[in-house]
Amino acid sequence: MTNLAKTTLMAVSAIALAAVAGTAASAATLAEIKEAGTIRIAVANEIPYGYVDPSGEALGAGPDVAKALMEKLGVENIEWVTTSFSSLIPGLKADRFDMVAAEMAIRPDRCTQVLFSEPNSSYGEGLLVAEGNPKDIHAYTDFAENTELKVAIMAGADQLDMMQALGVPEANLVTIAANADAISTVSTGRADAYAATGLTASGLAKQNDSVEVAANFTDPEIEGEVVRSWGGFTFANGNEELRDAVNGALAEFKQTPAWSETLAGYGFTQADIDGSGKRTTEALCAQ
Amino acid sequence: MHWTEYAAPLLQGAWVTTQLTVYSTVLGAVLAFAAGIGKLSGNWVLKGVSVAYIEVFRGTSLLVQLFWLYFALPLAGAAIGLDLRLPPVLAGVLALGLNIGAYGAEVVRGAIQAVHTDQHEAARALNFSPRQTLWDIVIPQAVPEMMPSFGNLAVQNLKDTALVSLISLGDLTFRAEQIRNFTQDSTTIYTMVLFTYFGMALVLTVIMRALERYLARWRAAKG
Amino acid sequence: MLFGYEWDLSSPLAFAVSILPILLIGMWVTIQAAVLGFLVALVLGLLFAVLKSAPSRWVSWPAAVVTEFIRDTPLLVQLFFLYYVLPEYGVVLPAFMTGALALGIQYSAYTSEVYRAGLEAVSRDQHEAARALNLSAVRTFTHIVVPQAVPRIVPAMGNYLVSIMKDVPVLSVVTVLEMLNVAKIVGDRTFSYLIPLSLVGGLYLIMTLVASAGVRLLDAWLPKQGIPLK
Repeated sequence: MTNLAKTTLMAVSAIALAAVAGTAASAATLAEIKEAGTIRIAVANEIPYGYVDPSGEALGAGPDVAKALMEKLGVENIEWVTTSFSSLIPGLKADRFDMVAAEMAIRPDRCTQVLFSEPNSSYGEGLLVAEGNPKDIHAYTDFAENTELKVAIMAGADQLDMMQALGVPEANLVTIAANADAISTVSTGRADAYAATGLTASGLAKQNDSVEVAANFTDPEIEGEVVRSWGGFTFANGNEELRDAVNGALAEFKQTPAWSETLAGYGFTQADIDGSGKRTTEALCAQ
Repeated sequence: MHWTEYAAPLLQGAWVTTQLTVYSTVLGAVLAFAAGIGKLSGNWVLKGVSVAYIEVFRGTSLLVQLFWLYFALPLAGAAIGLDLRLPPVLAGVLALGLNIGAYGAEVVRGAIQAVHTDQHEAARALNFSPRQTLWDIVIPQAVPEMMPSFGNLAVQNLKDTALVSLISLGDLTFRAEQIRNFTQDSTTIYTMVLFTYFGMALVLTVIMRALERYLARWRAAKG
Repeated sequence: MLFGYEWDLSSPLAFAVSILPILLIGMWVTIQAAVLGFLVALVLGLLFAVLKSAPSRWVSWPAAVVTEFIRDTPLLVQLFFLYYVLPEYGVVLPAFMTGALALGIQYSAYTSEVYRAGLEAVSRDQHEAARALNLSAVRTFTHIVVPQAVPRIVPAMGNYLVSIMKDVPVLSVVTVLEMLNVAKIVGDRTFSYLIPLSLVGGLYLIMTLVASAGVRLLDAWLPKQGIPLK
C-alpha cells in the first residue's frame, strides 16, 4: 500500500507539473504557429459575426475572413474555440487562444488590454423585441424615458456603456451570458427588449418567430454622434508580429470581391461594408 | 435539426464529462488521504496546511473556486512573475479535485478516528512504527468504512463537472448549450441531458459499489 | 460603475474598498436566494419523505425514483431546464424565483432523507409502548416522535442551508445578480478579476464560517434526549 500510494502520488504530481510546464509559454509568434501548423481562434457564438454550427464548422464574418487570411499566411489548421463574449479578452490575456475572430468592436478601453487589427467590418445598433412589439419600443432612449421597461444586454458588451451614457437605470438592465439567450429572455417578457447590434438582432429574429426586430429604429446618439462600431480581429498584447501579418493579409483581401461578398452574405449592408474602411484602428483606439 | 442529430455531439460531451470525472475523482482521492491524514498528524505544519486546505475549499463555493483558478490565477501569477495560465482542462480538473478532496478529507479523518484506540496501543506493544501502524493496521480497516461516503462524493463530483461548461470546456452541458443556442429546442435537449447524467450516475454508483465489495475482500485477505 | 458605486483603480486596496459595497449588495441577494431555496427544500423534502414512506408501493416507488433522479442530475442542468423549458408551457417565473426553486428542488432530495432518518431513529419499541399506553397515532407522532426527531433533524438541515449558500453562484447563469455574478461584471468592465473574485472567496469563507458556527450553537442548545414536554 505504501508503495502504491507513493507511486500514485508521484504520477499525479508529475502529470500536474507537466501540464503546468506545458503552458508556461507566452503568446505564440507567427513562426511558432506556422511550425505547429495550427492557430487557435476564438469566437463567441454570435450570429453573424462568428459562431460554430453543431457540426463544429466555424462560420460568420470573422471566421470566414480569418480562414482566407490564414490560407494567405500559410497556416494549415485552425482550431476553433467557443467561449462567452466576456471571456474573449481574458482568454487572450491568459493565452487560451492566439486570435479572436468575433468582430469585437474596437474601443479605447479594450485597446489598453489587447491589440486590434484594422477594421474588418462596421455595424450599427438594433433592438430585438417580442412579436408585434407590444411595448412599442423604437430607440435605446425609450428605456431612459420609461423606467417601467427592462432591457437585456450581453455580459461584457458595449451596450452597457451606451445605456449608462443614456441614463438608463441599472435596475432595469438584465445581463444575459450569451446572445442566443436573448430569444427566451425577450419572448418570455423577462426583458422587454434586447439591445444589440442591428445584425445580431436580425439574426436572432430569423431564428424564432416569437421575436422580431424593432421597426423604425432610431439610431442612438451619444455625445452628438450616431453610434457605429468597427469590428476587427484581436490579439494578445505583445503579439504585434501576428497582428501586422494579419493586417497585411487583410488589406490585400479587402481589395478583392471575395471579401465584400463574404460580408454581404452574412447580411452586412453596403453602408456597413463601405464604412469599414472609413476609420483606422489607431483613430478608434485614441477616441 | 431532428433530435437524433443531437446524439452525436451530446455523446462527445458525455465522453469529456467522463474523463473529467475520472481524473478529478482520482486527484480528489489522493488529496483526501493527504489532507485527512495530515489533519491528524503530530507535525503542526502538516496539520496547519491540511486544516487550512480543508476549511478554504469546503468554506467557499466550487463555482467561485473554478472562476478564481480560471480568471484570477493567471493575473495573480503575473503579479508575482509566474506563469499560472492553466488550460481549461487543468483548471477544471484542479478545481473539481481540490473541492471534492476537501470533502473527502473529512471522510478519511473520520474513518481513521473511528478505528479503535486499543489497536493503536496493541500495535505499539508489538513494536510497530507509527507509519506501519497507520498503513498496515489503521488504513486497511478505515478504507472500507470510507467507501459508502466516497461513492456519494463521486456522484457529487460527476454532477459538479457540469460547472466546467462555464469555462468553455466542451462537456455534456456545454454541448447542450451549444445546440440550444442553435436550435432553441430546450425541452428535447435538456431532457436528453438530464437522462444522460442520470444514467452516468447509476453506472458510477455500480462501479463504486463493486469497488467497495472488492476492498472489503481485500481487507479480509489482509486481516 | 455598478449600482451607483464607481470603482477606484488607483491602487489594489482602493479598488477592493471601492467595490466592497457592490459585492455586499450581491451578497444580500445570495443570502435571500439561499433562504428561499432552503424553505422550498424543507417543504418539498417533507412531501417526498411522506410519499417515500407511504404504505403503497405505487406511491413510494415513484417517489423514490424521482428523488434519486433529482439527486443524480446536476443543479446547473435542472436550472437550465426550469428556466428555458417551463416558459414553453406558459410558466414564466422571474430568474430569481426560478433559481430559488431549482435550489429547493435539488436539495429536497437530500432533506427528504434527513426527515426519514430523523423519524426512523425513534425505535419500534417506543411505537409499541405508545400503543400499549393507548396513545392515538396523532398523539404518538406529536408527543413521542417529533420531540425526539427534531434535535436530530435540525443540525443536518442547518448544514444543508450552508451547502445551498455555496450553490447560489450557479444562479448567475440565468442573470441573477448574486455575489459571484456581480464580481464577474466588475471583472468584465475593469479586466481585473483577481481582486473581485478573491474578495468573493473571502466573503464566502466568512459567510459559511458564521453560518456553520450558528448551526453548531443550535446543535449544542437542542437537548439530545428530545425536547421536554410540558
